Amino acid sequence: MKKKIWLMSLALLLAMSLVAIGCPAPQLVPDEPVPLLPALERVRVATTTSLYDTGLWAHLEPMFEEEFGVELDVLYAGTGIALEWGRRGDVDAIATHARAREEEFVAEGYGVERVVFAYNYFLIVGPADDPAGIKGLGPEEAFKRLMETGAGRFVSRGDDSGTHGKEKAIWREAGFDYEVVRGAEWYIEAGRGMGPTLVMASEEQAYTLTDMGTFLAFKADLDLVPLVTEGDILLNVYSVIAICPERHPRTNIEMANNLIDFLTSPAIQRLIGLYGVEEHGMALFTPAAGMEGK
Amino acid sequence: MTEIGQGFVKALELIISLDPEVMEIAWRSLRISAASTVLASLICIPIGGLIHFRSFRGKRILINIIQTFYSFPTVAIGLLVFLMISRAGPLGFLGILFTPAAMVVGQMVLITPILLGLTISALSGVDKAIKDTAISLGATEFQAIWAIIKEARYAVMAAVTMGFGRAISEVGCAMMVGGNIRGFTRIMTTAIALETVRGELELAIALGIILIGLALIINVVLNIIQQRYT
Amino acid sequence: MFLLEVANLHQKYGKKEVLKGVDLSVEKGEVLALIGPTGAGKTTVLRILDLLDAPAAGKIYFAGKDVTRYQRLRLETRRRMALVFQKPVAFKASVYDNIAYALKVRGHNGSDISAKVSSMLNTVDLADYGNRNAQTLSGGEAQRVALARAMITQPEVLLLDEPTANLDPLSTSMIENLIQRFNREYETTIIMATHDMAQGQRLAHRIGVLMNGELMQIGKPEEIFARPRNMKVAQFVGVENIIKGTISSNDGGVVSVDVDGKTIEGISDYHAGEEVSVCIRPEDITLALSKTSSSARNSFPAEIKLIASSGALARVELGCGFPLVALLTRRSAQEMGLEVGKDVYASFKATAAHIIKG
Repeated sequence: MKKKIWLMSLALLLAMSLVAIGCPAPQLVPDEPVPLLPALERVRVATTTSLYDTGLWAHLEPMFEEEFGVELDVLYAGTGIALEWGRRGDVDAIATHARAREEEFVAEGYGVERVVFAYNYFLIVGPADDPAGIKGLGPEEAFKRLMETGAGRFVSRGDDSGTHGKEKAIWREAGFDYEVVRGAEWYIEAGRGMGPTLVMASEEQAYTLTDMGTFLAFKADLDLVPLVTEGDILLNVYSVIAICPERHPRTNIEMANNLIDFLTSPAIQRLIGLYGVEEHGMALFTPAAGMEGK
Repeated sequence: MTEIGQGFVKALELIISLDPEVMEIAWRSLRISAASTVLASLICIPIGGLIHFRSFRGKRILINIIQTFYSFPTVAIGLLVFLMISRAGPLGFLGILFTPAAMVVGQMVLITPILLGLTISALSGVDKAIKDTAISLGATEFQAIWAIIKEARYAVMAAVTMGFGRAISEVGCAMMVGGNIRGFTRIMTTAIALETVRGELELAIALGIILIGLALIINVVLNIIQQRYT
Repeated sequence: MFLLEVANLHQKYGKKEVLKGVDLSVEKGEVLALIGPTGAGKTTVLRILDLLDAPAAGKIYFAGKDVTRYQRLRLETRRRMALVFQKPVAFKASVYDNIAYALKVRGHNGSDISAKVSSMLNTVDLADYGNRNAQTLSGGEAQRVALARAMITQPEVLLLDEPTANLDPLSTSMIENLIQRFNREYETTIIMATHDMAQGQRLAHRIGVLMNGELMQIGKPEEIFARPRNMKVAQFVGVENIIKGTISSNDGGVVSVDVDGKTIEGISDYHAGEEVSVCIRPEDITLALSKTSSSARNSFPAEIKLIASSGALARVELGCGFPLVALLTRRSAQEMGLEVGKDVYASFKATAAHIIKG
């Protein structure tokens, strides 16, 4: 008798735990089934944090899911991590913004093709009192000024992301060895995504390099103003790359291609171009499908 | 202070209004941690019983090692599990990286030392004569182990509760192997970590309140078990 | 063929040798009591017999089969026996579940278990106790539950370790009755360890005296008490009169023992000149007020040193050149008008003088 009860409760617990992994939450979020194994097809994209923090993915995700009947998993990662996951075959596509590294990734055979879908600009933001006096300068001059005066602090992403790469490129163009820069007392490495880095810069009243999209998305909560906004080097191009199925046969190349087609389709390109206008009074991104030279 | 105050008020609103996102994340946390605790218990309790039951060379050292692993850094376990189940890893064919299953596996690995160690010490509290009695009455080794576990059932329950507490409050491993995918692998701790650095404080505070509440409940349950039955 | 037999059993706990070559065998249906002082190794023997512990050396045969080592055979054999420990522990469960345990581990079905347990609860007179928490029972009740738990499978061999230690007289007699009943009704072979010699005498067909890891003597109870093999056994089984002397002559099995100038006659094979002790059970000594012409070959004038009564008996300490204790009924002591300082004659037969070496 007792033994049966023990066994039954054991079986019940086991069943519950399996159900727990596999079943959807009880109608708290009715349209979000959460299966353990891909009962529903899944496609996984590792995205640069700047795209994620603007809310663009959250905006596009349901549309894609509805159109293709698939679950889109968006993984929040800097460009460096996204590329590493891509190399390991842990994601089906990556959306990043570091042209040289992306081209290298494709050349190494990990990615099928680099497909540009949007761009915007980086800008240097900082406290309104601008202790180093960089307002209105070009990006390289601004960085020189920071280095020379040592006034104010600078928060770097410090996470091997696309933005971080861009920052390093600017230091290089300004004529500095990055290793020397990062040794400076006023230089802070956040090791975080774009949004978090902005939050931190605001808290510290420090300068930082950010993409326009994320800055606009976070602007309301930040005590930072745009200081440097013009310069060819500040161009920020977003591209999407499907992971090469020859390298990693288990990736979902079909859906990855669907995602690329989706992002570059005229309808979605138009949406990308309009994204943020309502909230911020200006677009966060410029659609750029077909501009492969960027 | 106003930030915290306002955040707190909004967080309470989110909880009281049963905000779908908050509830969904909390519910997923509970399910994943419950699953990993149950599965790990099913493995660890019998093995703990076996370790307790048998005498063998190096038993003491083994138990010491297990106890050392109680506070093994969760990110180290996260890294280990990531390397195992990443497509490029030896278990990559399972394709479970960035899924709840991966988080369950990670949490199971994470709480295994606690479950094993506390099970063994729970069983050590059982009168040695119970083992002899069971064996003498014709029990096989496993029947005798089961009898000992039943004798220590409240202490074993406390061990399981501790394991659950560690599983649900862990963030590093869940972040690394789950990927913190919204609506799929985002749980309370990873959501708090993300939302705090992104400045979305209300959601973070709301989830933090729920998490602390759960910790409180777990502690109360533990206390009740310990006071009433030991 | 013996049901259970052990040969040359050795056991060590660390460096300490607790069994030094014990040979023992019991027949089906027999009750054997192992008596001996605390620490003699009784529990160790029972644990080895129940196949709980493996001996350091020696063999165990169950129904003729060597069951010393093979694991499978050990479980199978263990399931034909049961051991009740000196301090039985109850599982944290109901009395019913405790008694049902041995059936459950053998995979009996629920209705069979239920029928057997209720019948057993009646047998041990705990019919209403099924749902009681087994850990809240009194000592006597707990012991009966332990006995019921062991007997539920009707084992061929029941091993009991001090089954009535620390029990009140009523509980003790209840347990003793149950032991006898199981032996008679189910022909259960019983091996029990006890330090209570009277209990051994009451219950056992044979008694084995275990001292310091050695089986000193084994035989029928009267044999053990009348003719202890050596001094230690004699002392342990309560022979009160142990008188040291030297054999002065041996005349065809009848020896004369010189004790401080007095001569005690007894039956023995020892030769003249050997140092011996003469054991005389107190109840074998008769007292008389005058020298009688009884058939007793030993008769000594003696002075009464002390009279103590215990129950219906009177214990009389005498001095007759050597100390002697006699036991007689209080009634006859009164009729004879025995009192301290009075001179009497103490007599006993040559056959009552058991002569041992040393």
